Amino acid sequence: MASRLFTRRRDGRIEVRLSPDGRAFVGATAREVAAAEGDPNHAWGAALHAPIDPGRDADDPLAMLSRQSELTSNAELVLATLDEGALTDGEAWAWFCTLQVALRSIAVANGLLDDDAWNALSGPLVEHIQTIQALLFELSRVL
Amino acid sequence: MTARLASTERELDQSASVATQRPWNVVVWNDPVTPMAVVVVVFRRVFGYPEAKCTHLMLTVHHEGRAVVWSGGRERAESYCVKLQVAGLQSTVERDD
Repeated sequence: MASRLFTRRRDGRIEVRLSPDGRAFVGATAREVAAAEGDPNHAWGAALHAPIDPGRDADDPLAMLSRQSELTSNAELVLATLDEGALTDGEAWAWFCTLQVALRSIAVANGLLDDDAWNALSGPLVEHIQTIQALLFELSRVL
Repeated sequence: MTARLASTERELDQSASVATQRPWNVVVWNDPVTPMAVVVVVFRRVFGYPEAKCTHLMLTVHHEGRAVVWSGGRERAESYCVKLQVAGLQSTVERDD
C-alpha cells in the first residue's frame, strides 16, 4: 500500500510526510499566492479578485478586505509551518486553502475554464496542476 | 372605489415586503480542475453540512455547472461567499429569483 503524504495522528495533529522537494513545491506555491495577492497586475489577479456579487458595480470593501487578509494569512501560515513534522488542523486547512487558491488561479490564468480546455492541455503545466491536485486529494483525506 | 384603492395599496405593501425579504443565494460554480473531494471538504468545513449533503451539492455543481449552497440574509451570504473564495472555490452571491 502506498504511503500517505498526510496522516491524522492520535493526538489530532496531521503528520506531514512530504519530501524536501515536496515541501519546496508547497512553499513556492504559497509564496506565489502571497505575491499575487499583493500585486494588482499579477496573472492570478482575475481569480484572486473575482467578484462576490457580479450584479453590483463594486463589491463591499470590507468583504474584499476580509478576503485579502485571509488569503494572505493562509499563505503566510503555510510558509511559517513549511518545515514542521506535524500540523494542527488549522494549519493543515491553511495549506489546503492556499493550494486550492493556487490551483484555481492557475486554471483561470491559463484559460482552463471548461473540460475541453483542460483535456486539450499538455506539457509541464499539466504536471504542475496534477501535483497540486494530488496534494489536495491527500489533504482532503485527513481534513 | 375607496375600498378597492385600499385593497390595491395593501397588495402593493405585501408585494414590497415580499421583495425585500427575497433571500440571497450563495452560488458555487463548476471548474474543470478542482478535485471533487476538495469541494466536499470545503462544504463540510465552511457550512458544517453532513457528508451526504456536501456530496449531493458537489454533484449538482459538477453536473449542472452551479449549485445554490446557502440562502439567507445578504451579509451572511457575502461572508460565506468570501469563505468559499478563500478556500479556492468559484463562488458568487445573487438575489433569489
